Amino acid sequence: MSLFGTNTGFGSGGTGVFGSTTTDSHNPMKDVEVTSPPDDSISCLAFSPPTMPGNFLIGGSWANDVRCWEVQDNGQTVPKAQQMHTGPVLDVCWSDDGSKVFTASCDKTAKMWDLNSNQTIQIAQHEGPIRTIHWIKAPNYSCVMTGSWDKTLKFWDTRSPNPMMSLQMPERCYCADVVYPMAVVATAERGLIVYQLENQPSEFRRIESPLKHQHRCVAIFKDKQSKPTGFALGSIEGRVAIHYINPPNPAKDNFTFKCHRSNGTNTATPQDIYAVNAISFHPVHGTLATVGSDGRFSFWDKDARTKLKTSEQLDQPITACCFNNNGNIFAYASSYDWSKVQSQYTYFSFVCWLWYSIYYSQLGYFID
Amino acid sequence: MAECDAEWELCKENIQPLRQGRSVSALHQALCQQQEGNHTALNQQKQAFESELRLYDGDDPLDVWVRYIKWTKQTYPQGGKESNLSVLLERAVTRFTADKKYHNDVRYVELWIEFAEGCSDPMDVYRYMQAQGIGTMQAALYIAWSEEYEKRGNIKMADGVFQDGVKCGAEPVEKLHAFHRALQARACRQMMSSITDQQRDDDEDDDGDEGAAEPQRASLAELKAKGKKKAVVPINRVKASVGYARGLQFKQPLGPRQNSRLVIFDENKASETEPQEPRFEIWTAPPTARAKENEQKPEKWTNVKMPLKSRSGLSVAVPPPKPSFQPFVEEDVQPPAVTPCKINPAVNSVLSSRKPCRPEQTPLKMLQERMQLQTQEDGKSREQSMYCRELLYSGASEFCFEELRAERYRQKHAHRLLSKPEQTHAN
Repeated sequence: MSLFGTNTGFGSGGTGVFGSTTTDSHNPMKDVEVTSPPDDSISCLAFSPPTMPGNFLIGGSWANDVRCWEVQDNGQTVPKAQQMHTGPVLDVCWSDDGSKVFTASCDKTAKMWDLNSNQTIQIAQHEGPIRTIHWIKAPNYSCVMTGSWDKTLKFWDTRSPNPMMSLQMPERCYCADVVYPMAVVATAERGLIVYQLENQPSEFRRIESPLKHQHRCVAIFKDKQSKPTGFALGSIEGRVAIHYINPPNPAKDNFTFKCHRSNGTNTATPQDIYAVNAISFHPVHGTLATVGSDGRFSFWDKDARTKLKTSEQLDQPITACCFNNNGNIFAYASSYDWSKVQSQYTYFSFVCWLWYSIYYSQLGYFID
Repeated sequence: MAECDAEWELCKENIQPLRQGRSVSALHQALCQQQEGNHTALNQQKQAFESELRLYDGDDPLDVWVRYIKWTKQTYPQGGKESNLSVLLERAVTRFTADKKYHNDVRYVELWIEFAEGCSDPMDVYRYMQAQGIGTMQAALYIAWSEEYEKRGNIKMADGVFQDGVKCGAEPVEKLHAFHRALQARACRQMMSSITDQQRDDDEDDDGDEGAAEPQRASLAELKAKGKKKAVVPINRVKASVGYARGLQFKQPLGPRQNSRLVIFDENKASETEPQEPRFEIWTAPPTARAKENEQKPEKWTNVKMPLKSRSGLSVAVPPPKPSFQPFVEEDVQPPAVTPCKINPAVNSVLSSRKPCRPEQTPLKMLQERMQLQTQEDGKSREQSMYCRELLYSGASEFCFEELRAERYRQKHAHRLLSKPEQTHAN
């Protein structure tokens, strides 16, 4: 029996490493389906940090809830707990010690969820829906960073109702990522700002967008010494830009590549271009995963500038993805992303899939 | 309120005047808000309009645009980039160009006229409107158009525009006639004053001491000859202005010095002659509004290719063929001094003879070309975006999927709250 009460979610009980034998387009990769998925589109996924034993997955959805599952080593997923907001949840993140989860919502608030006591308190307030939330752990401070559609970026000490700092942005925040001491925020109207977080957060540089279309997702990557050195930026028209902050040769080091387009082998028919919904970097290998509106996910090697793998096409767009802390598990969520607005939708399946390293190693590209 | 009054005093010359006047309360509020730097309320209102633009599903989408633009003008009295007014106007007019039902809607025509006034060349816009049939039944178009001609001193075309309007049966007719009469009155006054100026000058030339004493003089009276010479200066040496005083009809020629550049306006032949006005081109796109030098960002020159060294030499001045005979050269004659040329002319295909200049690239032409290119590209395009592009880019600024969805959620939620008030207490 599901811990989340009655729901019409798909697959209440599908387990086993090789998944269920449902229709191909629903689970073409034969990945593990997460039990008791949310009742509406999944907006964000986050795995627990390495400081915590085991793997816990948090997912926020447009049904105003945030759910937590434990992912066991045998592949089973166990629903653990759930919390609610009064509006759709747009972003989630973990604290560095794995004891707290922060959630950001359209109801203009952000909450801190203590997993041990299963209690939440509100820690942030904005004038508009909060789009991104990240935990910052610096040597001399730690705080929560929230980016909102009210064009501000605020930093919160969880103990105080007033923000520690509030930075004005030129436009609404569309996506952000933090790897100390760097933070990147991509805004509407193709704005791109890099912040440095040492001592206290301050704006570091405004970058001219390498992409021609609306920004959709961003993820910071690290160099061989595990220092953040650049970011990958995805747009609404099937393209990702790799941008280094201080490259030796910007013209050659920075580049963009096309992705999430229908196969353009037949030049008579036009190529369909899909939005890139999320980007995630493998914590060990540094390869990147992109998921798109076309219902596929792809893995890329940005240093060799090659595509490693593309999945089969799912029947729905993929809206969120993330790697676990050692890179053995890749979770992706298949649900409607509102790319073609519909006032009424009939059938959804809101599921998360787990993609195990078994498949990863079979393709034989361990980079070491 | 006192601070707002002070604010008004300080910046009243920056407030852009509106033709229909400003609401005093809105003006005060706008100035106070700017003073306080209260951006959030403004942002929220703007966001509300943007959402409404995208999610409106009624019969009259133009109404949302009109209200949004009106709010923008009232809230940003100084105009400027923050208000996005020019962007809004441009989007509003281009959005409905294909919509025939709005073509003669007075609100739509007024949006066009405002847009034209912001353009570098309003004449192009008015001609485009006429070619597309936008506003041809509205007096406002002809009034604005003739005003533009009048500003440039072209009274005959201004008059012609009014006559066009009457011919097309523009509404309201009385307004059209009233403005027409006013134009004619202004023209007469102008010409009368210029005649008297002219005559004063002539007086000073001819009869120096008579000029000051008699400023008014019958224009057709014979000039009294002074002194022994009985030569009478011909009357019609005063130029075309005399004709104007007779009610905009030139029947007499200009004078002995026939100036071929000026064409005589003859109303009987008005329909045939269209002096100095180019033919109507097929307008694929309306002209652009914004000042190009402020808005254009440096772009990659993707479409410009350097001309290759053509082997066929088509674009290059072909060097003259060698004569078949050997030209005779005297031994002691120096060969003609050739300007030292380091580049071997036979392989020099970069420097070619000067080509005739292309007709000047106006911003209008550039936009038209770009739109033509775009439609061509879309037609044979090999790419197709799989998302609701029009919805995202509908208003002045863009939206993302989540914003659309959040707005839809909010509306549904508000609707639900309204329809079930008693249940909210339980929650």
